[in-house]
Amino acid sequence: MAAPVVSAQDLLVGYGGAPVCAPVTFALHPGRAVALVGANGSGKSTVLRAVVGLLTPAGGTLRVLGAPVDERSVETRRQVSAVLDDDAWFPALTVAEHLFLTARGHGVRGAQDLVAELLAEFGLTEHAAALPVALSSGQRRRLLLAAGLVRPRSLLVLDEPEQRLDVRMRTRLAERLVAEKRAGGAVLLATHDPVLLRAVADRAVLVADDETRVLPPAAAADLIARADV
Amino acid sequence: MSAGPVVHPGPPGAVPTARDVRRYTTRAGNARGGASFGELLGDVYYAVVLTAIAVGMALGVAGALRTGLPPVTAAPVAGLSLPALVVAVVVALGGALVQLAGRLGPVGVGGAEAAWWLPLPVDRRGLLRPAARRPPVLAALVGGVVVGVLDAGLASASRDRLLRTVPAAALAAAALVLAAALAQTAGASRRLIARTGEVVVAAVPVAALVAALAGARVAAVPTPPWAAVGALGALVVVLALVVDGRLDRVPGRALRESGSLTTQAVGALVSLDSRELGRVLTEGAARPRRRRWVPFATVRGPASALVTADLVVLRRSPRHLVQLAVSACVPFLVTLVPGLAGPAAVLLALFGAGLVATSATAEGARRAEMVPVLDRLLPLPATTVRRLRMVVPAVAMLPWTLVAFAAVGRWTGEPVGWLALAVAATPVWAAAAVRGAYRPSPDWGAPLVSTPAGAVPTGVAAVVARGPDVVVLGLLPVAVTLLVGEVHTLALTAQATAAVVAVAVASSTDTRTLLERLSDAAEPAGGGSGPAGSPGAAPGGPALTGRVR
Repeated sequence: MAAPVVSAQDLLVGYGGAPVCAPVTFALHPGRAVALVGANGSGKSTVLRAVVGLLTPAGGTLRVLGAPVDERSVETRRQVSAVLDDDAWFPALTVAEHLFLTARGHGVRGAQDLVAELLAEFGLTEHAAALPVALSSGQRRRLLLAAGLVRPRSLLVLDEPEQRLDVRMRTRLAERLVAEKRAGGAVLLATHDPVLLRAVADRAVLVADDETRVLPPAAAADLIARADV
Repeated sequence: MSAGPVVHPGPPGAVPTARDVRRYTTRAGNARGGASFGELLGDVYYAVVLTAIAVGMALGVAGALRTGLPPVTAAPVAGLSLPALVVAVVVALGGALVQLAGRLGPVGVGGAEAAWWLPLPVDRRGLLRPAARRPPVLAALVGGVVVGVLDAGLASASRDRLLRTVPAAALAAAALVLAAALAQTAGASRRLIARTGEVVVAAVPVAALVAALAGARVAAVPTPPWAAVGALGALVVVLALVVDGRLDRVPGRALRESGSLTTQAVGALVSLDSRELGRVLTEGAARPRRRRWVPFATVRGPASALVTADLVVLRRSPRHLVQLAVSACVPFLVTLVPGLAGPAAVLLALFGAGLVATSATAEGARRAEMVPVLDRLLPLPATTVRRLRMVVPAVAMLPWTLVAFAAVGRWTGEPVGWLALAVAATPVWAAAAVRGAYRPSPDWGAPLVSTPAGAVPTGVAAVVARGPDVVVLGLLPVAVTLLVGEVHTLALTAQATAAVVAVAVASSTDTRTLLERLSDAAEPAGGGSGPAGSPGAAPGGPALTGRVR
């Protein structure tokens, strides 16, 4: 089996020295998907922030692409694509220009065509020339997801990607993530959506205060469906 | 693992340079910025006019200081010499600059740049270079002007001397900010850099006081030799180069935080919201930590709960306690400078330092203004809430006032009378603290008034003055006593009366100005607009028992 893209061993994350959840252990290999599940405020997003290098782990071991995570390294920026909860935009750049900037910034040739494809896929073609401030929150979310997919990557990190998406778009997103795995990409996502979990994840990690557990996706989906997390 | 990305949405090509990325973003923005060439010229015109006005005002202040103060004598005089004060002020300003640089970063990127530029695999130094250049350049401009005014005004420097002090100050200011940036690239926390500046600012008045009491004397502000100016220039160049080479070491999180704080601070400055500015600068560098649980054993009801909460907020902010202690030294210091100690300067020092001190005591009220639900949580009328929020500022300001007024009493030779005046004046500070904390935001939808600094809405000055106005009017008896030179019983009575009035004014939840109130009162019954009221508290009525529509 190929070396893991993300390897977390007793990973402790938190703010000001205080951990927000129990230590987390999991490994994510190429072509696989791991989902973090847990109640609101359990620490899923904090774990993701540590994985993308926006937060220094408070303890344990975390390796991304075979090395301690460092978002300053060019290699990390080339290979890790993250869609977190950033809702910031250049006020004078259009929807299409934001995507074009991301694609071209990562050296994608033929970025215009790729941007057009993704705009169509995410139902944003009509808004290509609009400024992000004029979009609805759901449309802005779709733009962020498109930006995560418009660039090359080995690891895709998504924080509750189902938020503000309708059922049709969630289904399409699930298909996209399955395709991502088939292409050899690794997917790490935090989610509350049992359907997305069943469709995409190969393994689920239940994040909580007292302990974290690795579960089969179906069991985690059942937990979510029963509103236990 | 460095084989490169495994998922390619399109054919891979060359990664652009950082300059290309910046240019693309700028060009795309300019394409729909909507600013015509004429508007651009207008902006340049306003910038030039504003700069000219600022320089003119600075020169005017320098001239007024130069003619208003007695000439510096070479003969030794007891106390602190004026040149020593200038040196102390310049060192304190340097500390304040480091403090500000630490709180704001100094290198940071805005939210959009953080989200869309930082994840790109381009040279981060190229992306950050313009943002890294701005703070030292701005510091150099401000440092040069401020030291020039101080040197020309207080120290009566000659033109030849100014030719050296101004560039030296500008270069020193730039060097300080670059040093802070260097520390940032080395992984030093913003809090540590800010704390370093705070220590310098706090140490300067104390050191000056000790020096004065010990009889140490600076006869003249040292003139920097050309070699020193050259060395400073070389230092700035070296620091700039080193910082530029290490820009890619600043973590993305630090860049995001700094950029966000700078954006908030600029927004507060542009909208003349000093309260928000203080909040950004204070909380921006605070360490996120969990606090020890306070049992609130003294709480017996809503009133004591409110006072205890305010006390806990103050106790958890040691910076504010230091601010109180250090600002108390300032009036003392001014009375020790023979070339400066006059009624006007002492009064200015008393009011200025007092305002700085009061701002340290009303954190609870400021937080309640920001989150109005805090005041609604307790079954107390809004006016009572305001009065209770004055308790902690009053308790904190009593020792401050006793120390500061004792210094003035020592200077005038009437310490007991001034101590009595201090007790009578303390509620005024508390009233000012609470009135300032609860002041409403400027109404930017109001009719505009043209000023040399551009159009501003009417009423902005009235909003900004809320708080200081109570100090100026409520301490009139103190001002008169200082001018008369003797503490009369009548002055004590007047001060006590003024304190009662100040507390009444600060307890009011009516946010209208006096003119607006008079105008509303003149309107026929039923047609007047109701009082704006404080956010979150029904004027005069119980905060929890308002009508529900």
